[in-house]
Amino acid sequence: MIRAIAGICAMLVLFCCCAGCTSTAPAASTQPATSPVDDFSSWNLTVNGTTRQVYSLDQIRALPSTTGNGFAVSTVGIKYGPYTCTGVLLTDLLAPAGGISPGDQAWISAPDGYLWVFDYEQVQGKGFITFNEDLKEITSPPLRILLMYEQDGKPLTYDDGGPLRVAIISDEKGVVTEGSAWVKWVDKIEIKKK
Amino acid sequence: MTAPRTIWILVSFFLIALLCSTTGCSSGVQQQKTVLRVVPAGSLLQPFDEVEKAFEVQHPDVDVQVEGHGSIQAIRQVTDLHRPVDVVAVADASLIPDLMFRTDPTTGTNFTDDYTPFATNAMVIAFTNTSKYADEITSANWYQVLSRTDVRVGISNPMLDAAGYRSIMVALLADRYYKNTTLFPMLIGSHFAPPLSAPVTGGIATVTLPEVLRPSDEKLVIRDGSIFVLSHLEAGGIDYAFEYRSVAQGHNLRWINLPQAIDLSSPECADEYGKVRVILGFQRFSAIGQERTGQPIVYAVTVPNTAPNRQLAQEFADLVIEKAKIGGKGWPAPLN
Repeated sequence: MIRAIAGICAMLVLFCCCAGCTSTAPAASTQPATSPVDDFSSWNLTVNGTTRQVYSLDQIRALPSTTGNGFAVSTVGIKYGPYTCTGVLLTDLLAPAGGISPGDQAWISAPDGYLWVFDYEQVQGKGFITFNEDLKEITSPPLRILLMYEQDGKPLTYDDGGPLRVAIISDEKGVVTEGSAWVKWVDKIEIKKK
Repeated sequence: MTAPRTIWILVSFFLIALLCSTTGCSSGVQQQKTVLRVVPAGSLLQPFDEVEKAFEVQHPDVDVQVEGHGSIQAIRQVTDLHRPVDVVAVADASLIPDLMFRTDPTTGTNFTDDYTPFATNAMVIAFTNTSKYADEITSANWYQVLSRTDVRVGISNPMLDAAGYRSIMVALLADRYYKNTTLFPMLIGSHFAPPLSAPVTGGIATVTLPEVLRPSDEKLVIRDGSIFVLSHLEAGGIDYAFEYRSVAQGHNLRWINLPQAIDLSSPECADEYGKVRVILGFQRFSAIGQERTGQPIVYAVTVPNTAPNRQLAQEFADLVIEKAKIGGKGWPAPLN
């Protein structure tokens, strides 16, 4: 009798445990995937200068590549990185479109409607504010602007700004730059003559 | 086996099983908490930290994730980036109808249909004990102190931060209030090459910013966000910063209040504020133009129609509104 009662109790407890675990837990976070599938076959980059150049991702990848250390911070202090960034130097993309001269600007934009403007000095890697990993301002080491297509050795995903994203890179590690210039999903570069 | 012993065994069995089930479930619940994604303007981060803690006490099954951005960028998380955001709170209420009362092409409904203004703020001059002339500056002489050649002043980037273009508006309004047209040039305009001017047309003083905001001397410092300006202030790199009063308070800084006619806090002065305008150097976002006209600072909160957790989101927004009425350290001032 007692064994029977204990057996029933055990089954009830087991049932309660299972029911509790499945029905009282709140709905799991249902964050819908908002990013498109990473199919960049129809993507291209247009560079408008004195001539107009259009590149597919394969053509971008076929250009001479550069790798450096990138680390960004948002306007409210959220750090992104550090990353090992690989891509094409902005200066290498501007050159075939006529290049950039003192007083000119490079307007870099994306289909989400975001635009950032770099002046000639910045295109040369100068004039950026830099921080150490503790977000204390430091004297800027030499910097370069990269159009990144690989992050940490892997193709840049859509969620990270792929297929092409601006990255401010340094040969040194731990150099943080202001993230507003790190334009995601770049598809257009215009050279504005002074 | 005696009856009391049997009962004791059964009770123990139940208690052990209950403990196991609770332990087992709690770790499962931990993994499956509902995420409530809240995106406020940067100047709301400190008070929203307080709301987050209170809300999570009320709702142990909810993980509130607060992610700060500039106000426009906060809205863009919903409208342009289509992220699953539950609550948006901005430092400029007018941005919500401008940017969110329009159709979301993915749903066919508006991004949102309503919003609630819940607080206001004022621009002040923040400083520290080590700022030059800290024992001398007052609400009456602030512009004279800031104009001194050995005093360094910081603002956040008007392209990125509402506090940035509001800082420029304060300098333009000071020109009018003190009837001294050299103030804007001394405080802001003359520190660029070429200098920024503020021509008056139709009674409105307008300053057009260059595409790249790089001061030509070391007197004026511009950083992307308020936290970097204040970090510079606290490190002694600058002496004074144009900042929101609530942020200065939240950072334990000293500050002086400015006359209401120039601090952008008073609805009664809205007409006066409207006589200054800042045109940004370029259209950073395709969704919103480059012009910013002076108006009273009003914070607002909304629940996007695409919020994954609408009921919880509304409860969170209600808690923000409720706590804003009480105010406190770091909170923007309650609306009257």
